[in-house]
Amino acid sequence: MELLKTILHQKHCDLGAKMAPFAGFDMPIQYTSVKDESLAVRNSSGVFDVSHMGEFLVKGADAVKFVDFIVTNDFLNAGNLKAVYSPLCREDGTVIDDLIAYKLKEDEVLICVNASNIEKDWNWIFSKTEGFDITLENQSDKTSLLALQGPDSEKILKELGLIPREDFTYYSVGFSKFEDSEVLIARTGYTGEDGFEIFCPNESITVLWDKLLDLGVTPCGLASRDVLRLEVCYPLYGHELNDELTPLDANLKWTVKESKPKFIGKEKLSGHSSKYRLAKLSLDKGIPREGYSVLNLDGKTIGYITSGTHSVVLGKGICLAHIERDAWPESKEFSIEIRNRVFPATYHTKPFVTGGHK
Amino acid sequence: MSHNIPENLKYTKEHEWTLIEGDTVTIGITDFAQSSLGDIVFVELPEEGASLEINSAFGVVESIKSVSDLYSPLSGEVLQANGDLEGAPEMLNTDPYQNWIVKIRMTNTEELDQLMTPSAYLEHCNSLN
Repeated sequence: MELLKTILHQKHCDLGAKMAPFAGFDMPIQYTSVKDESLAVRNSSGVFDVSHMGEFLVKGADAVKFVDFIVTNDFLNAGNLKAVYSPLCREDGTVIDDLIAYKLKEDEVLICVNASNIEKDWNWIFSKTEGFDITLENQSDKTSLLALQGPDSEKILKELGLIPREDFTYYSVGFSKFEDSEVLIARTGYTGEDGFEIFCPNESITVLWDKLLDLGVTPCGLASRDVLRLEVCYPLYGHELNDELTPLDANLKWTVKESKPKFIGKEKLSGHSSKYRLAKLSLDKGIPREGYSVLNLDGKTIGYITSGTHSVVLGKGICLAHIERDAWPESKEFSIEIRNRVFPATYHTKPFVTGGHK
Repeated sequence: MSHNIPENLKYTKEHEWTLIEGDTVTIGITDFAQSSLGDIVFVELPEEGASLEINSAFGVVESIKSVSDLYSPLSGEVLQANGDLEGAPEMLNTDPYQNWIVKIRMTNTEELDQLMTPSAYLEHCNSLN
């Protein structure tokens, strides 16, 4: 199958990016160095082309009620022009995807989903619309998305006149005018730093990209995005979350609002005990990688790594691991097996890096 | 992509360089290798005295995104491993030809025929682009 291309594909190639297939798209993995790109986001600003992600628009009198019904988190009581992160679950509690829902108006909601799950999500969501006064539109093909991330993001967006309003706090969303297009700005992201995601019609995205680069923003690829999200312990679908597990297996209990009167998966998830707990582990020597075994003090395998990398900020190996709940060691002593050798790991109660998001 | 391929070295398909001085062979990774890997953040070295067989894995180089085995270009015994790399693996990015990985004493000179000349290696790299 031929790979899909975002509107900015040629820009990435012109910049000399290393390109690779991701979720059916030919995407930039890195431009110069994963290290430099990660540090740009932590220390100043970086921009990611994440136009491969999916956008569904829900419109109609029941839009908010419908989205609240299909997600596990509380969307009903979210403020107007606010965003909510949530898993999307089946009746049996397993996770179809994780998403961000943006309350644009009382009767209009935008849902942003993972690129790899667009079709699966669409089919699922569409199959649940009966009885709700809504229309559903897949806008993925005509919408481009940039994530501007890092402590300088606000200053840069101000310079472009794109901050929608005063008091535009974390997880706020609003509209701005760019060129001749209406763009949707959200103070969200996947790096733990302050930053914005800019949903832009395809026609204007190239100009926006060029302007950001002219202002000194570093273009960043998906490899640095993975390091950044893992440093702040954000889950990634296909790793910490998948079709077989529930949000509770990824320490996402805070996104499952059992007190909501009705939502898909409520019966199964209420009072449910997960199969796994997610552990944050680091290594002083060696790099933990997805699939490596996690052992207890007796050398017994009690789990496996779901995502692992080298933390640019800490300068050492970090990972998230699914640990069997029944085998969770009270001593919190874990080790990791790498190429038949066993290395003691450090257990972390907090994310490896504290991002500066507001 | 241009490649820095010094004339005085011999190469392998796996992107290692060898410097042959008598029966002592110094081994490292090429500029092509370091550039393809990206930021190198970990190196696993063999023990001194370990015996290596040609084409067998003797160590590991990890970048942020990937794990790559190092394959021995020749059979021999490890004389010395460059321990400096353990504390500063990024030196393989900055100067892959200065920062060697192991020195071995080769045990079968007939294997030397299998190494590539600089021009053959250049051709090999170009075929991968």
